[in-house]
Amino acid sequence: MNNFGVIELASTKTTHAPGWAYVPDTGPSQAAAALAPTNRKRAARNNQNTLSYSDVSARQDVKIRKELEQLDKDTHKDVNIPIPAKAGRVQQKHTPNVRKILQSQKTFANHLDDYQALLALAETNPAAAAAAALAAGVNNPVSKGGGGGTTAANSASGTPAPQQPPGGADKGGVGGSKRSAAAAKRAAAAEAKNKKKQPAQVEKGRRDEQEDVEMTDAPQTEEPTTETTGEVTGAEKEREGEGEGEREGVQPQQPQSYPRDGTILSAYQRPPPPSHPADNDPLLVSRVPPFPTDDELRALMTAPPLSYLDARAAWGDEERKYPARTFCDVCGYWGRVRCIKCGARVCALDCLDVHREECITRYGL
Amino acid sequence: MVGGRKSRSAGPVPPSTTLILDNGANTIKAGFVTDEKTDEPRVIPNCLARDRHKKVYIGSDLEKCKDFGEISFRRPVEKGFVVNWEAQKEIWDHEFFDDKAPQKCDPSETRLVLAEQPNSLPALQSHCDQMVFEEFGFASYYRGIGPAFNAYQDVQDMFRTPRAPDPIVELPAEVVLLVDSGYSHTTVTPILQGRPLHPAIRRLDVGGKLMTNYLTRLLSVRHFDMRNDTYIVNEMKEAACYVSLDFKGDLEKTWKGTRGERRESYLTGAGIAKDYVLPDSHTRFHGVVRDYEPAATSKARRLAGGVSTEDIITLRNERFAVPEVLFHPPDIGMRQPGLADLVMQSLSVLPVGLWPGLLANMVVVGGNALFDNFIQRLQTEILERVPDDCIVRVARPANPITSTYYGAANFAKHEHVEKLAVTKQEYEEHGAGWVARRFAAGLGVDS
Ligand SMILES: [Zn+2]
Ligand SMILES: [Zn+2]
Repeated sequence: MNNFGVIELASTKTTHAPGWAYVPDTGPSQAAAALAPTNRKRAARNNQNTLSYSDVSARQDVKIRKELEQLDKDTHKDVNIPIPAKAGRVQQKHTPNVRKILQSQKTFANHLDDYQALLALAETNPAAAAAAALAAGVNNPVSKGGGGGTTAANSASGTPAPQQPPGGADKGGVGGSKRSAAAAKRAAAAEAKNKKKQPAQVEKGRRDEQEDVEMTDAPQTEEPTTETTGEVTGAEKEREGEGEGEREGVQPQQPQSYPRDGTILSAYQRPPPPSHPADNDPLLVSRVPPFPTDDELRALMTAPPLSYLDARAAWGDEERKYPARTFCDVCGYWGRVRCIKCGARVCALDCLDVHREECITRYGL
Repeated sequence: MVGGRKSRSAGPVPPSTTLILDNGANTIKAGFVTDEKTDEPRVIPNCLARDRHKKVYIGSDLEKCKDFGEISFRRPVEKGFVVNWEAQKEIWDHEFFDDKAPQKCDPSETRLVLAEQPNSLPALQSHCDQMVFEEFGFASYYRGIGPAFNAYQDVQDMFRTPRAPDPIVELPAEVVLLVDSGYSHTTVTPILQGRPLHPAIRRLDVGGKLMTNYLTRLLSVRHFDMRNDTYIVNEMKEAACYVSLDFKGDLEKTWKGTRGERRESYLTGAGIAKDYVLPDSHTRFHGVVRDYEPAATSKARRLAGGVSTEDIITLRNERFAVPEVLFHPPDIGMRQPGLADLVMQSLSVLPVGLWPGLLANMVVVGGNALFDNFIQRLQTEILERVPDDCIVRVARPANPITSTYYGAANFAKHEHVEKLAVTKQEYEEHGAGWVARRFAAGLGVDS
C-alpha cells in the first residue's frame, strides 16, 4: 500500500548498485534515450533493473494516482466512531423517509454513481429512466402550475411526497426493450436500496423552472449589518476616486447610462467621473465590450445548476501549456534528476541516496 | 422540540426567528437572526471526534479536548455535502435541539436558512429537505448556495471603494465574483443581484483537507510519520503556510544545495524557514511557530539546558509548496486548472460585457483565504490573463470564515427570503420534489 512514501532515512552512504545512475533529466525523450541500454551485456546484466521508459512512467502514474487518492481521504485510517448511546434522550419515532436516510451508509461516491447511472439511463432511454424512477417509488407531486410532467424525462424529475409508502420500489423495471428493462432494473435497484430520491432534473434544460416563482428584482435598501474591514488588493488604486469602480472604472468617458437600454442591471446614475486631460487621447481610450441584453442576462440568471461533474473544472487548452514542474521527491526542490528504476525525481546526489533506500524497499533491488 | 410534527403549522405570519446554518465540512457556522439582532455565529466543529483515550467528543465538545495526538474524526459532510445524516443529526441535536444544547432552538417556531455548496446531488438535497421538515420540524426553510449569500453584504465596503459617508447600501450587491475556498474544495461563482449564474459556476477539487493531507505527506517523508496526527498538522498549516508571490525565488532560498556545500540561505533560513514546536500533550496543547534557529545554536541550547523535551520541525519549502497547489494543481499530478484559470473558465461562458464588473468585484471567502498573500497572488495571476485596461480587484472580508453566515443573515432579513422560503405546510401539501424545484428555480429575474 501507499505509505505516503514514509521511509527510513539513510544515514550511511551506500554504493551505487547497478541500475542506478545520475541522469540529468531534461525531458522525457532524453531520459528515455539515456535509459536505453546500448550494450547488450549490460542490458542482460540489468534486465531485472532496467525498465523501459513506459514502464517507468507507468510506475509514476500509478504512484501519482495513489497519492491523489490518499490526499482526498478524510482520514488516514478507516475510523468508525459510533454514535454514543444517549442517557435520558427519548428515542424519537421517525417517519419512513427519515428512517431510511438515517440508516443509509452510502458515501458520496455511492450517491454520485447512482446519479450518473440515472443520467446515463435518461440519455439513452428516457422511458426506461422514467420507469426506473417510478419503480424506485418516485412520485411527482403535481404542483400548482402543473406545467411539467408531460414528457418521460419530466416525469422522472420528481422526488417523492413525504407520505410515500416505503414499499413503492417493488414494481421493478418496465422498460420497453430488454436492454432498457435491464437498465431500468439496475437503476431501480440502485435507487431502491436505501433511498428513493431522484435527481430533480434528469435532462438538462427540460425542467419547467419558471413555475411557482414570483419574481421581482427591486433590490431593497438595507443598513449594512456586518463590519468588514478585510483585505483588498490594490489594482484600483491608480484609479481611486472613480466611484464604484465596477463599470465606470473601465470606461471613464462613458456617458451616464450604462448598461444602455437594460433594466436588469441598474444604469449608472451618478455624475461621470471628473474629466482628465488625457480622456480623448486615442491611445488611452478603452474599448467597452457590448453589454449583454436583458434576454441574455435573464437566461443566465434563471439557468439551472450544472451537475456535480459538469461543474468540475477540467484542463482546457491554456492549462495544457502549464510548464510541467517536477520536484524532488525527497526535499521538494526542483526534480532535476530521474531515478531510472522508478522514474521518481530528485534534486541531486544527496537526495538520490535517500530515495534509493525507499526505492529498494518498494521495487526490490 | 425535535420532530415537533404536531405543533402548529406555520400560518401566514412567518417565524420571527431564523436559525442560520452554514453547515461546512469542517465547521458549522450557526446563529439566530431576528429583525432586531444578528447573533455572532458560533463556529462548531462538524464532527464526532475520538481521542487516543477513546473519549468521544461531539461538535463543540471538542473544545474540552486537550490532547489532540492521534485524534480521529467522523464527519457527516463529505465533499461539501451532508452525506451521513446519522452523524449530522447527532451533532445538530447536541448543538441545537437537546435540552442542554448551547444554542437551543425550537424548530416549530423557527425558520431555517441553510447554506449548501453549489452543484449538489439531487438525492442529497432531498435527504436534507426531508430531514429538515420530517425530523426536525422547522416551520419554514430555505436552502441556498453559500456563495450567493455573500452578495447580501456591503461588498463595496470590503473593497473600501471611495464613496459618500454613510452610503445607502442596496442589497444584494449588483455584481460579485465569489471565490469560496473551504475544506472540501474551491468554487468560483459569478453572482448578479444575488442570483448565481449557474452555467458559470466552476469547482477545483483542492481544499483545506487536501492541503493538510499534502503537508502530512511531506512531513512524513522528510521528518516523521504524522499520518495519525492530521489535526496537529492542520494547525501547523494554518499557522505557518503562506501563498508565495515568488515561487521560484522562495524555492531557491530554501534549497540545501549540492552535496557538501550548504547554501548560505539554507543555513540562515532566509526569512522563510520557521521552527514549529509540536504540542507535547502534557504542557503544550497547541503547536507554536518560532523563528528559525540554525541547528548549531539549538544544539548548543540543548547542551546548556540539559535534555530538550521539545519536538521541533523546521519548515522550509513546505510553508509555500502546500498552498501552491491551489494555484498550480499539476504540482501534485492533478489535472485541473489553478485558481486563476478557474476564474477565467468561469468567465469564458459569460458575455464579455459582464467581465469588467465581475473582475472588479472579486471576493474570496472560506478558510483558505486566510493564507497570507492569497488575494495578492490571485490578483497578480488574473492580471496576467486579462487585457491591460481591465480593473481587477480582489477583496477578503474581515473574517472569511463567517462571511457566508453574515450574508445569509442579511438575506434572512431581506424581502427575498419571503419569496424563497417554504413552509412546513407547503412541504406536506406539495412534497419534497416541489420544494427541490422551487429552491432550484431561485428568484427568477423579473415579472
Ligand atoms: Zn532533493
Ligand atoms: Zn526510484
